[in-house]
Amino acid sequence: MKKFLGLILCCAAFASASMIGIDALGEEQIAGGSAAAAGRGFAGGAKTGEAEGLSVINPARMAFDTKVVFNLNFLMDMYAIELHSDSYFTSNISMPSFNLSFPMGDFGAFGVSLWQHYASSIRESVVDTLSHADARIEYKGSVYEIIPTYAVRLPYLRNISLGASVHIVMGSMVRSLTLGPNKDGVADEDMWATNNAELSDYVEGSWEIDHHPAYYSGSVQYRGRQSSFYFSYTTGYTLLNKLEYNLRFSELDTLVPSCIERKVKIPALFATGVNYRLAKRHNVMMDLQWRKWDEDVENIGHSYDMRSKTETQDDFVASIGYQRDGSSLYYDPFLDRVTYRAGAWFKNWYVADVYEVGGSVGAGFPLGRKGISLDLALQGGKRFSESEGNWEEVFFGIRLGLMGIGSWGQSRR
Amino acid sequence: MKKKNIALLSFLVAWAIVLTACLFDSSDSSLSSWLSDQGLPDSYKVQMLTVNDLTPVSAKTYAGNSVFAVESTMVFGSLAGLSHDVVFDFAFIDSSFLDEMSDADSAAAAIVLFVDKEFYNAKRFPQDSLPYKETLDLKLEWILDNGQKKSFIDSVGKVSVSDWAEELKEWKTDNSADTSYEISIGAKDSLVRFDLPAAFVEDMKKAGPACHLQLRISASEAKHVYRFYGPVSNYPPEFLMRSVSDTAVKRLPPFRASNIVVYDDFCEDCLVVRGGVLESLVVEYPSEKILESLSDFYGDAFPFDEGDSNDVRQAVVLAQLNLVRDDADGLNELGLPIQVVVGSFIDSLGEEVRRMEMYKVNRKQVAESGHPNMVFYDGDSLSLQVTYGLRDLINQAKNGRNFKMMVRLGYPVLQDKDSLYADYKTEDGDSVKVFFKYFDYARYDFGKTFSQPANLKLWLATKRGGEE
Repeated sequence: MKKFLGLILCCAAFASASMIGIDALGEEQIAGGSAAAAGRGFAGGAKTGEAEGLSVINPARMAFDTKVVFNLNFLMDMYAIELHSDSYFTSNISMPSFNLSFPMGDFGAFGVSLWQHYASSIRESVVDTLSHADARIEYKGSVYEIIPTYAVRLPYLRNISLGASVHIVMGSMVRSLTLGPNKDGVADEDMWATNNAELSDYVEGSWEIDHHPAYYSGSVQYRGRQSSFYFSYTTGYTLLNKLEYNLRFSELDTLVPSCIERKVKIPALFATGVNYRLAKRHNVMMDLQWRKWDEDVENIGHSYDMRSKTETQDDFVASIGYQRDGSSLYYDPFLDRVTYRAGAWFKNWYVADVYEVGGSVGAGFPLGRKGISLDLALQGGKRFSESEGNWEEVFFGIRLGLMGIGSWGQSRR
Repeated sequence: MKKKNIALLSFLVAWAIVLTACLFDSSDSSLSSWLSDQGLPDSYKVQMLTVNDLTPVSAKTYAGNSVFAVESTMVFGSLAGLSHDVVFDFAFIDSSFLDEMSDADSAAAAIVLFVDKEFYNAKRFPQDSLPYKETLDLKLEWILDNGQKKSFIDSVGKVSVSDWAEELKEWKTDNSADTSYEISIGAKDSLVRFDLPAAFVEDMKKAGPACHLQLRISASEAKHVYRFYGPVSNYPPEFLMRSVSDTAVKRLPPFRASNIVVYDDFCEDCLVVRGGVLESLVVEYPSEKILESLSDFYGDAFPFDEGDSNDVRQAVVLAQLNLVRDDADGLNELGLPIQVVVGSFIDSLGEEVRRMEMYKVNRKQVAESGHPNMVFYDGDSLSLQVTYGLRDLINQAKNGRNFKMMVRLGYPVLQDKDSLYADYKTEDGDSVKVFFKYFDYARYDFGKTFSQPANLKLWLATKRGGEE
């Protein structure tokens, strides 16, 4: 396992997420990008259990947990992006979230999550002497959220829980485009001056919420014998991105940068979901998230022929999933103790005319008897795009979740 | 989980990666077309702009340092209206010798300086100009402080070199005497010995037992600047004192020495710059013409005043100022071309600072006609690179500054047509140096260079999109 983690960390250096919306916010990681949720097609916000852990969309769910859950999620993504006959392949490794939840019995449950909500990252280069192409493009951007969460079951109405979370936003953004000279229009005797003169168009900045420390989510969950459901509401907020634009010849040889701020108004999010227990340990589930965008997103742009705005559309995720819970008895056969998952989703991106269809299968393998499990999800799909400048993408991803379950703070019965 | 399961899992993951890697294949050109779809270029277009007829609004010469601490080499003499004096700092304690000397009729003193053979025997030194022969009118000045104990000597040693330099700027002599010396510097001469006059010897007789002697020698009428080894060398200068006989001699090296530069005349507006003493010429060109040309070229407004008004729409890749040159009024000693060192005044957080300019070699031109930034050389033009200065001027044009630059004479150039522009060793093991390590204490008149219109050539990169 150490070696595997080492490999993941090595590969992280070559990260690149979806190239759609890269100048706006980047790719959104649905539902905290957890491997368990991804395995059932990002459905299952309403699925309760003794160790389901924290959900960034439905904070109330955690109140029904009885065990401490810690999980780390890794994602390895591969994309082929294509337009007409051109296609381009790239891959990515990232860690979309880690979560810790801590049930306290009648006092409710407390949890905290670190969620890479939006990410844009590529690092690629092209050199072609014939067409004078000499470019290195690098995007490194992420909007991170630290989310303290509290959930509690109501007195008397023990089947209903309420949850709330605070999303504290931070993050940074870099776009660096290093270009070599194209001397086409330069007379022979003047070419010397541009030898080895590489130039970087460099933008860097930080993310925060404008005039506010955080944004908030609240939800209510009902757990029934057969069906469970939830409703959640997340407030809208305005992201503030303070950027410095520059042209630099090297890190030590730069112009005085020009500072520009962009504001991105992110609308409120409604989410709901239902989980239906077909038979013992067999569940089907369905989730819906919806957000109505009023304004376009101002881009990082500001140079060359780049678009200054990314047009938006109402974004939603509709997902269905199936899960067969694994047996919790250690002495059952191994395959019986594995949790099996499958799901599919349709996602309308916040970027106009971009939608995504995806499917996934997943499994949760228990490791040993100490309550450690490993979630694996294989996902694939296609992002369709008719918007300007965005290419269609075929993607295949492997998600890995490491989950530790413990029963801290609970007395033996 | 059993080992078998881990193996199975790893196998599945690895297989999935291999499969997908085969599925997704990419071509190189597609990144280029992706970039262009985003509105991004895959190289920057180099654009050229020439601003003609730039005339300075002001030009002023600034004097250089007047005191230079001396280490392995020192100079002595006069050239180009400057007298290079040398001051030695001696400190010693020797009561028995000084007692003996004070009674002796045959007491005498002398200074021995060892000729810098490395300089005079250098391959590129104009050997045919040797020997130098003349009668030097020497002026000796000395400050003699006496003390009693070793602590007096120690206190002299505690004065730092920079403090001493400050003291030397305010040189107030105790006593002085004139003498003359027939100097001859040829291929075979290795030392000169200045016998010190009787007035000095009389003062020395009264000195002691601890002595701090600062001895200044000048030859302001000399025809040359003579080069000697300094105190930090294998042949340091020596101070000799004789008491009763030729065998009773005390030899003493100075523990430090300095050159003092004395100006016969200094003229701010003459645009004359002398080498080796850090004299500089500051020239200011008006920015309006440059900004107007940029405005015509791009069709945008200059200076840029949107937002914080820092203009990052374009960057200067290289800027070169082309000037006329006339070496006729100059005077140099070594016959070697001399590099013109350039600096620009740029804005650093609201303060004006000087940044020395880089020099990018135009290899083809250098191989054909030599470096374009040299004076005392063939041709009648001078090209100076002012990239940092112009880059900053355009970037922060809103603050309304003019373009201000500084020029100075640098080291003599040995490899005038070697485009490598770096010291290296040949296959035979000979080392090839770009610059001669000694200054030419030359005088150069930039009058024509900075009074006639110059043209400024800019290589530009822009962030503006589309076809212009």
